[in-house]
Amino acid sequence: MKRRFRVLSWFSLAATMVFGFLGSLAAEPQDGGSAVIQNQQPAVAQPAISSAALTINIDKTTLSNGGSIKVTGTAPAGKPVYLEVWAKDHSVRSNLFDNKRDKETGVIPYIFYITKDMPAYYKIFVPKEMQTKIDAVKKEGKKWSYSALLKDLGADAAYSVPAKAAIDRYKASLMASVIGSRGDILPGMDEKENRKRSMQLVKSRFRSIDKVVSAAVDVRPDGSFSADIKIREGLAPGKYNIVAVAGSDVRSTPAVFENTISFPTVYLENAGTSMNLIYPFVLSLVVAIFGVLMGAGGGFIMNPLLLTLFPVLPHTIVAGTVTPTVLFSQGSGIYNYSKIKFISWKLGVGIGCAMLLGGFIGPKLTELITLDQFKFAFGWILLVLAGLMFWQTTPGYIEKNKKEQAILKEFKKRAEASAKGK
Amino acid sequence: MKVEFWGQEFQVNMVVGCIGGFLIAIMSSMFGFGGGPFMVPLMTVFLRLPMYLVVGSSLLAIFFNTSISTMRHYQFGNFDLVFFLAMFPAALLGGYIGPQIAKRVSPMVVKRIACVGLSLLALNLLGVY
Repeated sequence: MKRRFRVLSWFSLAATMVFGFLGSLAAEPQDGGSAVIQNQQPAVAQPAISSAALTINIDKTTLSNGGSIKVTGTAPAGKPVYLEVWAKDHSVRSNLFDNKRDKETGVIPYIFYITKDMPAYYKIFVPKEMQTKIDAVKKEGKKWSYSALLKDLGADAAYSVPAKAAIDRYKASLMASVIGSRGDILPGMDEKENRKRSMQLVKSRFRSIDKVVSAAVDVRPDGSFSADIKIREGLAPGKYNIVAVAGSDVRSTPAVFENTISFPTVYLENAGTSMNLIYPFVLSLVVAIFGVLMGAGGGFIMNPLLLTLFPVLPHTIVAGTVTPTVLFSQGSGIYNYSKIKFISWKLGVGIGCAMLLGGFIGPKLTELITLDQFKFAFGWILLVLAGLMFWQTTPGYIEKNKKEQAILKEFKKRAEASAKGK
Repeated sequence: MKVEFWGQEFQVNMVVGCIGGFLIAIMSSMFGFGGGPFMVPLMTVFLRLPMYLVVGSSLLAIFFNTSISTMRHYQFGNFDLVFFLAMFPAALLGGYIGPQIAKRVSPMVVKRIACVGLSLLALNLLGVY
């Protein structure tokens, strides 16, 4: 069973590498210029198109790692105009653990929602007058609700793309968590429920209000409108769609622009963001050196630093990617010790088995918690670690440690000598 | 459980060791770090084992944890290959440079800096500033 699992995971690793490579090849020609003239093409899957009344134009079709686009157009007079903008080529994962008590029934649902179809970028631009409403919601702090915000802004009708995302939901249980499974998969949801949950997933993915809505559309009384849309740095490359929406059934055909990025800025497929690779490289180098000096693996410092410096990265990706980085330094450490027979295999494997169980469960829990909970818990862990470090600088410890280190050196010398003697 | 190591025999309380290891493993795999700095005190203080037995064996124990949690994180799609490739060579390089520098600096100074740095980082995560 375990063997098959390992083979499977290696196979999928290889597959990812191949596909990733192909993907980058496919992306190559698009960078070559030749402006994409795909504006005004009829959208295929959009319901209720009445583009006669609503037109949209954009002033450029390519951006280089973000920038500003001017959108102009005409809409039926007197209606607010919303612009729905999303990344067409890349989607990301978003997950959510619903453990809030239901107000009516008083039951905690414990349902885990996950989708792979969340657009890597999704934002609704609303008329400028609504800035005050956005500001009011921002004052509420972290407890804001995306669905309430949309309703408040009247942007309900503009919200369409994530609503169609295929969402899986699992009934999480304590038992399932213990054996490290997501739980039983529940039957699919109807359209309305899917839409409602997708809004929660949008919030869970993009987190801050500024990333999902912005007041930018200037609507004049005659129905013409214009907007300066700012696309931030560090987004997915590829094509983006802009659709203007006025009222519940009036949608324009999508205008398409393309965002390009160039090396060393690279798109991280699972994280859903583009990043200049030099930063994590330098950071990881510094942290690794410091980790060696203080005698702790780099993971302790690397994780919180990444979260603090690059808030765009989801914490699951950070934890999941730093872990294998630590793996190899541990492996080489074990190899060095085992060469001079300085490992008690019985003790190591004994405790290792218990840790195997824990390591099986842990990653499952990472996706159940939100970023804020992650930060909170990690904060306390670091405080404990700082306490341990402090304890190691107290005179009592140093005294004891000196003897220990002397014995350690003595034994190590003996071990090395006998390893050489063979 | 009795463990023999370089001619000496130690009595190890495996119940404490396993429970402690299990909890540390959950925590460390959940948050994506190795767990060495917690494992070493567990084995020296709670299990009363000498340092020279602990250094290698604790590394072996957390290696089990890290490898399975890597697999699991990969299974859940938490692993980003490009991101990994950016950090991994740097971590290797750091592993080579680190010991060279370690000879020249006092471990006490490093630990004090680490102590302050970790506290700052922790307060940042807790949202104090």
